[in-house]
Amino acid sequence: MTDTILKVKDLVKTYDGKNVVDGISFEVKKGEIFGILGPNGAGKTTTLEMIETLRPIDGGSASIDGIDVASNPYEIRGIIGVQPQTPGFQDKTKLTELIQMFAAAYGEKVDPKKFLDEVNLGEKANAYVESLSGGQRQRFSIVAALVHNPKVFFLDEPTTGLDPQARRNLWKLIEEVRDRGISVILTTHYMDEAEMLCDRIAIMDNGKIIQLDTPKKLIKDLLSRGFSKEQKVEQANLEDVFIDLTGKGLRD
Amino acid sequence: MTFSQKLNTIWTFFIINMKRLFRDKTALFFTFLFPLIFLFVFGGLNSGNNSVKFNVAVINESNSAFAKQFVGKIEKEKSFKVDTAVTSFSAANEKMSRGELDATIELPKTFGDINPAKGYPTGQAVIHYTQNSQSAAQTLSSVLSAVFTGINTNITHSESPFTVISKQNNERSLSAFDYTFTGLLGFAVLGSGIFGPINVFPELKKMGILRRLHTTPLRVWQYFLSTMLGNAVVGLMSLAVMFIVAIAVFHLKTVGNYAELAVFLALGIITLLGIGLAIGGWAKNERQAAPLANIVVFPMMFLSGTFFPRFLMPHWLQSITFYMPLTPVIDGARMIATEGKSLLDLGPQLGVLGVWIVIVYLIAFRVFRWE
Repeated sequence: MTDTILKVKDLVKTYDGKNVVDGISFEVKKGEIFGILGPNGAGKTTTLEMIETLRPIDGGSASIDGIDVASNPYEIRGIIGVQPQTPGFQDKTKLTELIQMFAAAYGEKVDPKKFLDEVNLGEKANAYVESLSGGQRQRFSIVAALVHNPKVFFLDEPTTGLDPQARRNLWKLIEEVRDRGISVILTTHYMDEAEMLCDRIAIMDNGKIIQLDTPKKLIKDLLSRGFSKEQKVEQANLEDVFIDLTGKGLRD
Repeated sequence: MTFSQKLNTIWTFFIINMKRLFRDKTALFFTFLFPLIFLFVFGGLNSGNNSVKFNVAVINESNSAFAKQFVGKIEKEKSFKVDTAVTSFSAANEKMSRGELDATIELPKTFGDINPAKGYPTGQAVIHYTQNSQSAAQTLSSVLSAVFTGINTNITHSESPFTVISKQNNERSLSAFDYTFTGLLGFAVLGSGIFGPINVFPELKKMGILRRLHTTPLRVWQYFLSTMLGNAVVGLMSLAVMFIVAIAVFHLKTVGNYAELAVFLALGIITLLGIGLAIGGWAKNERQAAPLANIVVFPMMFLSGTFFPRFLMPHWLQSITFYMPLTPVIDGARMIATEGKSLLDLGPQLGVLGVWIVIVYLIAFRVFRWE
């Protein structure tokens, strides 16, 4: 199958005799946004970290673009971009310099201004990271992870702690990344995020994938089993009110 | 990635981190001014007079003209520093017990009275001292005896058959400041090499900065090399500032070749940095790093000749401390800078440094953790 970019088979991670990731298998297609959904402690982050070569794989296998993760970690790192849960950057370093450093880490030289313009940070080119707002920092972190034009982009809970405007903006940004042909894999515990953003989602709990499909299909399946909410849902919710009152415009 | 790309990575990291250092006022203070504070404190303590001086009090209970003359003579004597504020025994005892005075010279009531039978003045001065100033009191009494001998020969007109005079030769020996200065150089190398990384790395780990780099193909050796390059350059700049101040303010006389000195000190900086990289690279947080760093740093601080020259130690201790990583740095710097030796004369020092470099970097690579 040529249109599969990531293949995970029977992946296991064991801590203190307990399988925190318990033999999961899934595939991610080229150019899709794939969401891993689950409560805290479900094993989402550990799964990502194993595929990202940050943690040893205790059982099973993962391969990206046909390259085995466990046996070729440096090759894998060259074709993936990673956005960690809490992006940290060294202080007293200009954004342009940080972009140069990340490019250098991949053995590349780039024009930092071009990348910063892509995420509306051109004006901040000579600013230090510590002067950025939360949303700006997330945008910067994303562009810093893409300096080497990776094939797969991992994001771990990208919108935690952001205001509604910044979240929407980030969703748009992630869709733009997908439209460039980069496969996106993200974890989240926000249902609205998974529903609006992801092409397919895997729902994880206790280290296992319990469902995997498109958001629409999952909802349809549930309804077809005779599920109905007790109350009739309003046509709008509080977030719609908030966005209507404050606008979609990004605040920073 | 080609090899030149890999070197370019190291260079980019080095340049950007250098720029970062010069934007960081706290780091600049600790890098450049902090060592100078030590230089001024320790340099001020033992610069200027190399001669021995005794702090004494003179208590004159006699009214004779001779006693008055004698007190004046003592006050002019080069090897005494007379504390004129002390006039009573109780005040003198208090100062002696605190170590501020080495001894008290008592001239009793009858001191200097003319002995009617002989026709000239006689008397006996008494030196009071404490248990801890015995050697000072002994030297003091010989100095006073010599003074009395001079007076005695004048009075009795007898000639001394044997005398002694001292002559200074023209050769320069190492001064106390030469030892102090190279010790402080070593202290600066120790501080920047170990306390730098053990503070920086846990911070980088806490902020997830190293973890982020771990997701890139960057290799540990590339990261280490850029850190080594940065530390060596900044360290040499900081040591150069110390040299300039020592020469300008404390009249340090250097005779060696500066290029050789720079190469040697860079080697020392890199060796000590390896210890810091091993501890900081291993530790998950400050609480792990700090105690381990102290265990490593304190023996070197006191036994490698930073604050106390090693020649003051017993021989067995000197031969052990010779093999500590900081000792060859201090000895070698002194041999090149103040004795004019070349790198070729520093075989033992270079040998000890070489062995340590291999050991500490092997450990540092092995125990390094990105988070």
